[in-house]
Amino acid sequence: MERNMESLVQVKGLSVGFRVFEGLLRVLDGISLRIGQGERVGLVGETGCGKTTTVKSILKVLPQPPAVIFGGEVLFRGKDVLRMGRRAVHQLRRSSVAAIFQDPLQALNPVFTVGTQLSDIVRDWAAGTGKRLSKKEIFRRCVEALAQTGMPDPERIMTCYPIQLSGGMRQRVCIAEALVRPVELLLADEPTTNLDVTIQDQILRKLDELVEEKGMSILLITHSLGVVMDLTERVYIMYAGTIVEEGKTEELFTNPKHPYTQGLLKSIPKLTGEGISQGIPGRIPNYLHPPSGCRFHPRCEHVMPICTQQKPPLTESEGVACHLYRGDVR
Amino acid sequence: MGAYIVKRLLQSILVLFGLSLLIFFIARVVPGDPARAALGNLATEEQVERLRAEMHLDKPFFVQYYYWLISVLHGDLGKSLYTQRPVTQDLVQFLPATLELMLFATLISLVVGQTMGVLSGYFRNSWFDGLFRVISYAGVATPPFVIAIFLLFIFSQLLGLAPGVGRLPITMAEPPRVTGFLLIDSLLAGRPDVTLVALKHMLLPAISLAIAHIAQEGRITRSSLIDVQQKDYILAHQVHGIRPTKVIFKYLLRPSIVPTVTVMGMDFAFLLSNAFLVEVVFMWPGFSRYAVNAMLSKDLNAIVAVVLVIGLTVALVNLLVDVTIAFLDPTVRIRRRGG
Repeated sequence: MERNMESLVQVKGLSVGFRVFEGLLRVLDGISLRIGQGERVGLVGETGCGKTTTVKSILKVLPQPPAVIFGGEVLFRGKDVLRMGRRAVHQLRRSSVAAIFQDPLQALNPVFTVGTQLSDIVRDWAAGTGKRLSKKEIFRRCVEALAQTGMPDPERIMTCYPIQLSGGMRQRVCIAEALVRPVELLLADEPTTNLDVTIQDQILRKLDELVEEKGMSILLITHSLGVVMDLTERVYIMYAGTIVEEGKTEELFTNPKHPYTQGLLKSIPKLTGEGISQGIPGRIPNYLHPPSGCRFHPRCEHVMPICTQQKPPLTESEGVACHLYRGDVR
Repeated sequence: MGAYIVKRLLQSILVLFGLSLLIFFIARVVPGDPARAALGNLATEEQVERLRAEMHLDKPFFVQYYYWLISVLHGDLGKSLYTQRPVTQDLVQFLPATLELMLFATLISLVVGQTMGVLSGYFRNSWFDGLFRVISYAGVATPPFVIAIFLLFIFSQLLGLAPGVGRLPITMAEPPRVTGFLLIDSLLAGRPDVTLVALKHMLLPAISLAIAHIAQEGRITRSSLIDVQQKDYILAHQVHGIRPTKVIFKYLLRPSIVPTVTVMGMDFAFLLSNAFLVEVVFMWPGFSRYAVNAMLSKDLNAIVAVVLVIGLTVALVNLLVDVTIAFLDPTVRIRRRGG
């Protein structure tokens, strides 16, 4: 929370594109973010704004090609993940980072049992720490991890194939896979988007509990503002591959600065029924020819001449990337 | 799994039963009197009548079928007009040569095709991938007997690296017959030198047969591997810190080869028909040549036997393929439940 909190992950000026048939998609445009030790950080933005690309860059699983990294650093405890060799990356993944993906139906291998997939994670993690666990011990840890996620009858689930489980159960397995070994950072990429609304809440509560209990850092990626308000301390707002605003979750939501964040908050439907919520006119830009200057300017109601020419930096003091808040240019 | 195998086995038996009915029907519809054909022009009408009664030809269709089925199940398929011997005896003589060749060709295509497919898919867009794709197009497009002629010409005639036609040189005696597979029989007879020679003879025809399959199945493995590689679960395995080699050889390979196994089953029937022509080119004393001769000389009993054997083989291979797939892919054998 505090600015001087020790950083676990620091992304600095990361720019990533994708080479496609039509040309180059410039998706991430110099984004920077920081996750402190034991901190819960949210990353919010609409579909297609580059959230998943950010996560994949941190995990170094972006296939290159088609992805191209133009610049920037992803520092994990000060070491640049993007410049690590294969071995170092593997070591980092098995000992320090875990991830939960969007679609639990796609995130489990269909031809192996839950038990096989879980125990391989434990076995390889143990091998990394120089330990050799007995089969019994591995099994015990797996069952424990499943039970922690609130999975009923975990011993039986170990022998099941993913196809035999419901969506909610599969997502619990995914969480168990992420948390079956101790890690420092959990990247949760829209962990509940593809689940029933009734299950979403259960899963998030459980995830929240587990993160709390294990004291790990979490980067929660979502387009649901409610989830972010509930679960995170600090939040980054992302628009079209740029970070537009950053701040403590509560402050940011009570006093949004960036026109995009303001529009985002206005678009939440209100249960009190005071009229229909407003959306933001326009669509997310085309990454083949992104707008010049501030990428939000074509949709912004406060657009100024400078917005089309110069990209506003994310200021450390205000935590917002917008020319409206820069006294010097106004 | 056990229940699945039993179910599949019963289905196969049903298919074979249907096949036998069809074959029998066709064989009886074909014009001509089998009794007259068997006895020849000089036999009297009485003699022919007696034989007709003996062969149950005077009975209704289904009674005839019943007697025929019983004798087939006892291994009696009648006499071949062409070789003048019981058809079963002919099969025992000619079938092993073809089976040996086909199994060897399958082995080659399995090992080489899968290796190439996996390498090509894993190192997508590398020079190896490009080379494999070009060669595999050619391999799929060229008929095996053309490949056979070229291989025979280049390696045997021009370069002299490979022996010519046949299973063994004429000067070399076959080992005592046990299985009919020369490679095995010669080893059983304690003659590894014969094994080596037989292997050399088998290499060219087997390669001619295998190339199309290497190309076809390799291509399918390649595209399936690329497809699976982009799945979220492969990403998840990597991110969860599973050893990269384990991710490739365990978690990536197994879901990738399922489509290939399916195709291999279907391809086996093609392998049989391709063997017909390749055996002609290499003068392979096998089942295919026997079958072609049977067709050309309208040798009815032999034709029935040939069709039965092919049907049996295809049914068996499909059974094997289905069981393999059920083993590899649990979604086949598990009923869907919930989401």
